[in-house]
Amino acid sequence: MSLGYLIRRIITSIPTVLFVAFVVFIMIHLVPGDVVDMILGTQNYLTKEQINQLYKQYGLDKPLIVQFGIWLKNLATLDFGTSLRTGKKVIDLIFDRFPVTLELSVLSMFFATIIGIPLGIIAAIKKNSFVDGLVRVIGLIGLSSPSFWVGAILIVIFAGLFQGFNIFGYVHMKEDILKNLQVMFLPSLTLGLMLSAQIMRMTRSSMLDVLQQEYMKTAKAKGVSYSKLIGKHALKNALIPIITLSGIQLGYLLAGTIVIENMFALPGLGRLLLQAVNERDYPVIQFVVMFIALVIVVLNIIVDFIYTLVDPRVELR
Amino acid sequence: MKKFLVAILAVFAVVGAFAVGGKLVIAMETEPVGLDPHLVTAFASHRVLENIYDSLLKYGDGMKLLPNLAEEAQAVDPYTIVFKIREGVKFHDGTPLTVEDVLFSFQRILNPDTKSPAAAFYQDVESIKAIGDNKIEFKLKKPMASALLPNFAGVNSSIVSKKFVESGKNMQLETNGTGPFYLAEYVPGNYMILKKNPYYFVKDQPQLDEIKIVFMPEEVSRVAALKNGDVDIAKINEPLNLKQFPEGKFKIYRSPVLSYYLIGINTTRKPLNDPRVRNALNYAINREAIIKAVVFSEGVVTGPLNPAVQPWALQPKAFDEYTYNPAKAKELLAQAGYPNGFEFEIVTSQRYNFDKVAQVIQAQLAEIGVKVKIALVEWGIFIKRWRESDFDAFISMNSGSIEPDVQFYRTFHTGGSTNVFLYSNPKVDELLDLGRSEVDISKRKAIYDELQRIIVKESPVIFLYSANQIFVSNASVEGFKLLANESLVFLRETYKK
Repeated sequence: MSLGYLIRRIITSIPTVLFVAFVVFIMIHLVPGDVVDMILGTQNYLTKEQINQLYKQYGLDKPLIVQFGIWLKNLATLDFGTSLRTGKKVIDLIFDRFPVTLELSVLSMFFATIIGIPLGIIAAIKKNSFVDGLVRVIGLIGLSSPSFWVGAILIVIFAGLFQGFNIFGYVHMKEDILKNLQVMFLPSLTLGLMLSAQIMRMTRSSMLDVLQQEYMKTAKAKGVSYSKLIGKHALKNALIPIITLSGIQLGYLLAGTIVIENMFALPGLGRLLLQAVNERDYPVIQFVVMFIALVIVVLNIIVDFIYTLVDPRVELR
Repeated sequence: MKKFLVAILAVFAVVGAFAVGGKLVIAMETEPVGLDPHLVTAFASHRVLENIYDSLLKYGDGMKLLPNLAEEAQAVDPYTIVFKIREGVKFHDGTPLTVEDVLFSFQRILNPDTKSPAAAFYQDVESIKAIGDNKIEFKLKKPMASALLPNFAGVNSSIVSKKFVESGKNMQLETNGTGPFYLAEYVPGNYMILKKNPYYFVKDQPQLDEIKIVFMPEEVSRVAALKNGDVDIAKINEPLNLKQFPEGKFKIYRSPVLSYYLIGINTTRKPLNDPRVRNALNYAINREAIIKAVVFSEGVVTGPLNPAVQPWALQPKAFDEYTYNPAKAKELLAQAGYPNGFEFEIVTSQRYNFDKVAQVIQAQLAEIGVKVKIALVEWGIFIKRWRESDFDAFISMNSGSIEPDVQFYRTFHTGGSTNVFLYSNPKVDELLDLGRSEVDISKRKAIYDELQRIIVKESPVIFLYSANQIFVSNASVEGFKLLANESLVFLRETYKK
């Protein structure tokens, strides 16, 4: 990948990220109810003047477009805003929460691949056999089960069977790596199981495609061992669509951990976003979503880069 | 030898029985939103802050008002309240509490720049001044000393340190109270650690060295964490889950609460602007059936005040309208000109089972020919529509109070700040004003009795039920108690065996 290509990709991504920010800004302001409503709830203690003062304090008395302009201007000076409800800097909140979500996503991806790829390969090799059928049925169940349901089932099983196994109470990696991994095990397994179904299906069809290629027959005729045939010749070529899928899934994971983080009480970005949406904490929602968009853009660039490593025919210029 | 062993075991048993201290892990579903006691409105903030800050008064068993930072509270006359401030109290940073701090706290609440919700409670206070160095006097514009007293027990009336606030600390992020615990650590989205305040003025309290409050939004997680031993005590919202906690291994705590479910009605929209129509709905609703279906009998039917609020509440039996009587309902509808019923919309949200209540109501009203359309909306939209009275009717929950004036004045007085029902009745206004200024308890009682009967008959609000609050702990937890206002102040008396 040339440096020029990389710079071009980054520059062309900026409008995408800003567009996302703008759309989110408009959408969250279009949703009825605002932060002042949330503060007051159904216990309307404040007078009209006090309520207007609150709007002024939060800068919500200005026209929408002006508010967006101010936000952009602040962004240019690296002022990412302050949470309206907690008074904390949004950037600090993100730095606190992102590592949890990142770890959850990476571990989920790990489970998804170690479950999905081998099962996909087996299904492809044993095409149309009982094993293939079984794997495909499991995949279908995996694809159609909602994560909150799988999570709840796993919680019930683990809490019942393995007393003493740490399911809840997030511990940071720096404090105690073993406890951290214990606490992260179930949530990442839940998400990993969901994703593995897709990876398995993609691996299966991609492998089947490759296995039918002429060069596979040639290799087989040349007496290449079976394991080498599958591991080196077939899998390597079948990997490209799997990498694309995994890249997309990782992006989806970063944005889609909301349910799981809530269920397993993990202090991640997804939970922060949900809370911010519930409280109409505009600066937090806006920046978290923009941040996720940014990460997805970066992930796409990384995925493109990995292509070039796996398949030297792909060249990014 | 056997005797010796028995003796040793007995000693251990005795020592065990007296052992206090330790660390308690409690799972709560929601996280505090801000830590400034004068600003917070979120229930979750109140539950934490009441263990960090103190007010002049506090609630004890049975919601009795008790002295706290004020060792004496005296209504000298209907216009004057004098508090004698306790000596020897220290803030968490070690500075002593003075009358200056108390004065400053109320000035801060009343300062319009603070935008404290508690300012509304004290709007009829004419002056506050210190008398000597241990007393503080409140002069009132209206004779409402006894109606005002319960407000002094709320978190929003906490006493803060003048020095601490004036040093420019962000009170939403940092705390410095006189309460039994101080905030040692707060990891947003994860947990809060409260540690024992070594200066706490009540001898032998708190018992615990540390409370870890973990935030678990999902009930399934709280149940599993409790069963798994990850937490010691947790709030349970779904009574069905209680089956998972066998007696002996776990303790179940349940108590009635002040808050209650209700149907709020926009009294200006047809056909619900006719009191007869609203009253017909009252007769057509089977409250017991709702309690059974929604909370598996973990609740009680309530009137305008929860029956547990003594001496003010009229018991549900006192209201004829609470007898399930569809025939009477139909008769009232026919009188009002709707013999074949009508259709209206109930706005509701998924919070606190509101949607389930709506479904049962829908089925019950269908029996008298009234069609209910349920508009299930997100909480933000709900609040917006609530504030703008943009509804035919809604299902919600009222937080309730032990003081009828607090409960009723802003709700039913013409133009009251929570009178979203747009209800206006000169007789009700008159009673509310009278009740506020009357000091004789028996006369006040008569006023509020009459008021409750009118409110039920006119039905701007149809009162439904009050659900029990439920907590479950493992067997080692002792001394934990619940209060009707859902406060967790008894954590200061809790310990682990």
